[in-house]
Amino acid sequence: MTVSGPLFIIGALLSLAAVLQLLRRWTGIMAWLAAAAAIGVVVLVAVVPLDGTVAFGEFRVSLGQPLVLLGRQLVIQQVDRLPLMFIAATSALLFIVAWRLLPHSNFFPAGLAVLAMLSAALMVSQVVYAALLIEIAALLMIFPLHEPVTTAYGTTYGGSIKGGSQYMVYASLALPGLMVTQLLLEQFAIFPSDVGLLQTATVLLGLSLAMLLGAVPFQAWLSSVAEEGAPPVVTFIFTVNLGTVWFLLLAYLQSYTWLSQQAAFASIFTVVGLAMMVIGGMLAASQRGLGRMVGYATLVDNGALFVALGSRQFAGLSLSIVILMARPVALALMTVGLDGLRRYGNGSDDLRNLRGAAWVAPWRTLAFVIGGVALAGFPISLSFYARWGLYRLLAQVNLIQAVLGLLGSAGVMMGVVNAARAFTAPLPEGAARQEGALDRVVLLFVVILIGATLGMGLFPQVASRVALQMVEGLRFFAN
Amino acid sequence: MNPIVGWLDRLSDLISLPAAWGIFAAGAVIYLIDAWRIRFFALIVQYIFIGVLFARVFDTRPEMALMKVLVGWLISGSLLVSAGVRRRASARDSTKLVRWAANLPFRILVLVTVTVVARLAAQRFTLPFVSADLGLACFLLVVLAVLFFGTEETDPGVVGVGVLNLLVALEIFYLAQDPGLLVSGLMVVVSLLVGLVSSYLIVSEASP
Repeated sequence: MTVSGPLFIIGALLSLAAVLQLLRRWTGIMAWLAAAAAIGVVVLVAVVPLDGTVAFGEFRVSLGQPLVLLGRQLVIQQVDRLPLMFIAATSALLFIVAWRLLPHSNFFPAGLAVLAMLSAALMVSQVVYAALLIEIAALLMIFPLHEPVTTAYGTTYGGSIKGGSQYMVYASLALPGLMVTQLLLEQFAIFPSDVGLLQTATVLLGLSLAMLLGAVPFQAWLSSVAEEGAPPVVTFIFTVNLGTVWFLLLAYLQSYTWLSQQAAFASIFTVVGLAMMVIGGMLAASQRGLGRMVGYATLVDNGALFVALGSRQFAGLSLSIVILMARPVALALMTVGLDGLRRYGNGSDDLRNLRGAAWVAPWRTLAFVIGGVALAGFPISLSFYARWGLYRLLAQVNLIQAVLGLLGSAGVMMGVVNAARAFTAPLPEGAARQEGALDRVVLLFVVILIGATLGMGLFPQVASRVALQMVEGLRFFAN
Repeated sequence: MNPIVGWLDRLSDLISLPAAWGIFAAGAVIYLIDAWRIRFFALIVQYIFIGVLFARVFDTRPEMALMKVLVGWLISGSLLVSAGVRRRASARDSTKLVRWAANLPFRILVLVTVTVVARLAAQRFTLPFVSADLGLACFLLVVLAVLFFGTEETDPGVVGVGVLNLLVALEIFYLAQDPGLLVSGLMVVVSLLVGLVSSYLIVSEASP
């Protein structure tokens, strides 16, 4: 029996997600099965040619064969391969990282189901279905976001639900714009001379994507989610969910070329991106809460993506992909650090409660600081390479824009330096002097992630080559 | 056309304007009364009116409208159960059946204002491909949603009802033009998930 690639990938991920719900007691099995499934998707999409088949016993999977559902097609195209591999590989990394951080968590089954939904969103061409699938993925991710976490002292924390509630609202507010865009596009196909339809579609699509990506002024959910959510789940949302939205934006730019040809396109993206970088940087620099700092650092990173797109240069587009590729490792490192620091702080990530944390939880502190430096775009990290390239690109056109972008990154760096100063301050009297037994596996994760951050920073050409491949179809986009 | 379907279609034609206002009145009860047992009944009534409007959208397939009503009732039930869990966890006084929401005069003022805004917006901006009463219902549902998001941020149950109202407005508008089964089915999945997530957040908030 031959099954289509989309059916196999989505079906296998959803089936395994259902099985994992029954295995909640065994965290290790759940984590590794989820990671193996995600890696399986990476291998399948990377190795099997679109016109070829691969046999699994009785089954033969034809990767390029479309799946037809009530007249609508899901198909893996050449342009979808790298984005699919990116979200699956990032998911696998986060499943492994979460193994020791989220015992018995719903994150693993929910994460696989989300991966299935987002893969389907990348495979479908109509905006309306992609929008609905992204909404479903966002809603599914709220379940593990607010699970209670056990601290170093055996107590639990969690229960605040503002982040999940806001994420649900913003993801839902983005839905009408995307669905109406589909209607307008269908109208435009019938009345091609009505340019007003395109202008309205551009505004609606832009607004909806801005909400989903947490662009200014819709950034409130980013910081709320980061402040109150379980760190690995937050990282999943900021990398896999947001990454998919970004890839869809690039896909729409490719499918609907009129979108990028609107007169105000470049200036809107640049202005919004710079506003995100400057506001995010200022807020990150003044934060006492580490979770919110992660949220604002992500806002600055998202701003850099917008600015890169607004440059309307091919190099800018490929730099945006490098920024996106650098994010999972940097955020995963911050995640491991933040998780340990919150446990040490008895659920609080306020810097006033974490004075001297470096003497008690040195590895977690190191992970947070190095992850923060990498996300801020400072050396030695892949983000540094991408951001530096972006500033140079901006400086060729407008030096002030480059300086503003740099200031945004410096704001995040200032926040990280403030945090490092608090961590290395003398321990307050009466504070716990021992973190408890250090999980050697977590220590191994920290070492591997630090190595990966430095390695990617020292050899950025590997990521750069992949990024160039990913945006090859968008050459028309350059001025 | 099946005579029963035709009869239902004519009936929904006649009462769709009152149904639009009925949806708003039920939303107003949810906004003004801070007691989930009352809110539950308001939500049940709201979904009956929503069913009437969907009967106009799916004029040849009333079973689709019925399904929307059943999904809405299911969600209402799950929200009621979750609110009960939260009430027991917080040991809040439950002897009073009706408890007015805080800042009642302010809420009434806001409600009156948004009603006027929705009415004027429905007159000024005619939604394409839907009748005037369905358009009015869309505007009323959207302003209710914004009201719930804006002023009930701390109660995930009411925020969830706001999201559901927004989704219903979108469904009425979108499905009137593209009444495809796949979109409709996915919207049902989204609504059920919103209900589940809201219930989960209510219970999470209550857990120690």
